[in-house]
Amino acid sequence: MTGIIVGYIATLGVYFCIYNILSIGLNIQFGYAGILDFTVITFMAIGGYMAGVASLGPEQPGSQIFYILGLSLPWPVAMLIGATAAGLVGCAIGLIALRRLRSDYLAIVTLAAGSIIYGLVGNNTKIFDGFEGLVGVPQPLNGVLNLNPNSYSLFFLGFAAVIMVILWVAANRLRNSPLGRAMRATREDLEVAEAYGKNTYKLRMMAMVIGSIYVGIGGVLTIWYITALAPAGWGTSETFVVWAALIVGGVGSNGGAVIGSFLVAVVFNEATRFLPSISSNPSLIPEVRNICIGALVILTLRFRPQGVLPERKAKFPGLPERPFGEKATAVAEEV
Amino acid sequence: MDATPLLEVDGIKKAFGGVQAVDGAAFSVDEGTVTALIGPNGAGKSTVVGVIGGAIAPDEGRVSFRGEEITSLAPHRIARRGLIRTFQISREYPAMTVLENLMVSPSNQRGEKLANALFAHRSYRNQERQLAVKALDVLEDFGLYAMRDEYARNLSGGQKRLLELARSVMADPTMLILDEPMAGINPALISHIGEHILRLREAGITFLMVEHNLEVVERICDHVIVLAVGRTLAQGTMSELRANEAVVAAYLTGGIVDAGTAH
Repeated sequence: MTGIIVGYIATLGVYFCIYNILSIGLNIQFGYAGILDFTVITFMAIGGYMAGVASLGPEQPGSQIFYILGLSLPWPVAMLIGATAAGLVGCAIGLIALRRLRSDYLAIVTLAAGSIIYGLVGNNTKIFDGFEGLVGVPQPLNGVLNLNPNSYSLFFLGFAAVIMVILWVAANRLRNSPLGRAMRATREDLEVAEAYGKNTYKLRMMAMVIGSIYVGIGGVLTIWYITALAPAGWGTSETFVVWAALIVGGVGSNGGAVIGSFLVAVVFNEATRFLPSISSNPSLIPEVRNICIGALVILTLRFRPQGVLPERKAKFPGLPERPFGEKATAVAEEV
Repeated sequence: MDATPLLEVDGIKKAFGGVQAVDGAAFSVDEGTVTALIGPNGAGKSTVVGVIGGAIAPDEGRVSFRGEEITSLAPHRIARRGLIRTFQISREYPAMTVLENLMVSPSNQRGEKLANALFAHRSYRNQERQLAVKALDVLEDFGLYAMRDEYARNLSGGQKRLLELARSVMADPTMLILDEPMAGINPALISHIGEHILRLREAGITFLMVEHNLEVVERICDHVIVLAVGRTLAQGTMSELRANEAVVAAYLTGGIVDAGTAH
């Protein structure tokens, strides 16, 4: 019994880390740079699939499972391949969408690109085994450590947590840097940022690619933990879960992304998956789950649009105080 | 006055669909002046400003700044050469603080490089502090110091105009193009902004401002360019122009008769 509980908690913990990485990635794209990416989950899939086919061995004739590559690469290389592939797809979508399109059109382009990739991957059985998906993906260090499944889950939780913390620190550094500030300026007013000398296309492309890499790494962790990935696991509704997490937590705030992923992704989306299904109505729980997430988003937007943990004001520590500063302001306040 | 003008606009034409918004406008702005660009509504002033700033590609004509052609450059490249334009409505970065609004302006900040932002925040710390001190100085000059940590969206309309100027100064421009900086603000603030413009001219910034308020133009502008139906109708000082019947007619009739394109 304790074994089941440990496994359950470890699994929820891993999902928490993964959703965290996904929503921080989306926060870099949307929260920093204002890019309406309506196909977040596609980058997760690309990262996962590419890491999968890089760490799987060559396809076995007669197994009826077909996929590209099959390189049996060690896990760090596979992760690099997954992250890079997600970044490249983000770059490709950015090339189409970021140059001249207004944000609402950009959203449609990302949605369309996601659907195209979904169709390609699902219907072409030779790339990632179509709708059947990849199975039996080797887990990092599992062969070396020789742990039982529960202990391995705990180990993987630590592994995912370390990666999450590294990505979290990097995202905060980016946010607090002049680069992050320039990205937020493009979010606030693209035309004005451009008129003040910012290369807005380059800034937004950077945010797009970095965010895609984050989400791609989330995908790598996903396929390693589950050891399988099929299109059913990355439908459009999954994109909605990441968006819900960011909106509830607080757009622009990495701390908000963490709280949001905990509330939406872990408590509502994943924890409820382990409830026993009601035999007379097996689809009841999933449907109630979606209703709850939708209601949570509506309540947030109505009563706390800035999210649970809103974006914080930028601080400039260590600046000298000005004794005469207040006097000079009197004029402006009459205005 | 034989030196090359700072800004030269030559034969700009731009049509939007069937509307010829600008039809051969040509003028120049000398260094160290406050030059006004006036004309009736629909004269093409905002389009001309858009063309100069690179936001609108002209059908014909060329724009030179400091003797170099800038006609087809991207807006951010023109801005980096020291030519900054503001917009007709104040457009602050609403969800950023007043201080941050200024801190965005300087180009080529060290911390805007990805590698520095992620791995070497010490590399830009000194520059960041210097810029922040400079930004606070500028805020103090414009009387916005106490608002430094306020979200820009919470400023009053007049304070937003001051912020727009302060933010432009922070970019160290050679020339500033202001699109109706006095529109919709009270007389006390109009004279206040006028003083700031004259102060900045003394500091070496050249101005081109689109303005409808002729009293303001008379008071602070050295040179006036009149546009009507997309062409340069007249140039000179305000008192010269008052004596010019074509200009007076343009203001009364929209310039249709004098510019000779009645249809």
